Amino acid sequence: MPQFEQVSVFGSLIFWSLLSFAILFFLLKKFAFPPILEALEEREKKIRKDIEDSEKLKEDAQTIKKDLEETLKAAHGKAETIVQLAQDEAKKFQEKNLQETEAKVRQVQKDAEQEIQSSRDKLLQEMRSYTAALTIASTEKFLKKALGDEDKKRLVEESIEQVIQELEKRQRN
Amino acid sequence: MESPLHHFEVHTIIPIHIGGLDLSINNAVVAMWVGLAIIAGSFMLVVNRGVSPIPGKLQSVLEISLEFIRSMVYEFIGEDEGKKYVPFIASLFLFILACNLIGLVPGSYTITSQVVVTGAFATGIFIMTLVIGFCKHGMHFLGILVPPGVPKIMIPLMIPIEIISMLARPISLAVRLFANMTAGHTVLAVLFGLALTSPAWVSWMPFGFTIIINGLEIAIAFIQAYIFTTLTCVYIGDVIKLH
Repeated sequence: MPQFEQVSVFGSLIFWSLLSFAILFFLLKKFAFPPILEALEEREKKIRKDIEDSEKLKEDAQTIKKDLEETLKAAHGKAETIVQLAQDEAKKFQEKNLQETEAKVRQVQKDAEQEIQSSRDKLLQEMRSYTAALTIASTEKFLKKALGDEDKKRLVEESIEQVIQELEKRQRN
Repeated sequence: MESPLHHFEVHTIIPIHIGGLDLSINNAVVAMWVGLAIIAGSFMLVVNRGVSPIPGKLQSVLEISLEFIRSMVYEFIGEDEGKKYVPFIASLFLFILACNLIGLVPGSYTITSQVVVTGAFATGIFIMTLVIGFCKHGMHFLGILVPPGVPKIMIPLMIPIEIISMLARPISLAVRLFANMTAGHTVLAVLFGLALTSPAWVSWMPFGFTIIINGLEIAIAFIQAYIFTTLTCVYIGDVIKLH
């Protein structure tokens, strides 16, 4: 194999390869690697910071969301209480109104009944007195004589006339 | 038919002799320089344009490769200790990758198919790990030769085994890269030789295989560069952490 046979070039190969590597290493280490590695690290830091920031923002957003949800829940609770109170109030008001109306109706009914009763009593009273007067008058006539048809008719009419006069007299009084 | 190992021969282009030492510039060195120039040029282009927070295509590729190497270093050495080794490991990876890939260009040369080159790098890394170990732990570094939990009676047996294991590391590192590169190129040369010498009605088959193996060689170029640098990280991590 030439790699083992060409002994004369060994020194040259070793020397130039090591020297070339040393120069490459120097050039890259001095000029090329620092800015690129720095850029890499800066980007890495920036990405890490951005991720941390976004995580923090996410946490903040979650906290705000949680707070909002709690506030919303509390508001819902309050609204429900207010609605319940309003409903209770309305129910009470309605019941009170109903009771008052019922009381009024009962009162009106009672008054009407009383008025009807008094009118009836009055009417009955009047009827009783008319009937008595009529009966008295009829009996008087009957007792005086036996009457013919013409007389009867006349007597009745007289009696009625008498009753009417009596009534008118009373009304005038 | 030409030997499939013929293209591993090194030809001197500019002869240089200093104090009896042959430091001639040859085709392998020139091919390596072309590869390194592409790598260095790409980085310099990006840096000269200004590293943008929103990277372009080339910057993205370089950033991805650097990020990949950096995460590898952090994984095996640790973030705190590994930071200072990132430039070295990245340069090593890019150097080997450039040498591996440039060798796939027809007429070029793969310097990593030279065992002396891979051996020089592996030895250099081995010595570097020893220096790091002694600098970091002093004489306690020798404790690396005694795995934890070994009974005291086994220590005299374990120390030679551990020494052999340590010495085998650079050898395996060097031979792995050299053998993979040599084998791949030899297979390619054999297949291409077959395609050229066989009759037209059958030559399409080895030629087709050449294309497939060439694709495979590109993957191997990346894999071998990755393995070499990963093992370097593992060795450095071992001497830093001491088991």
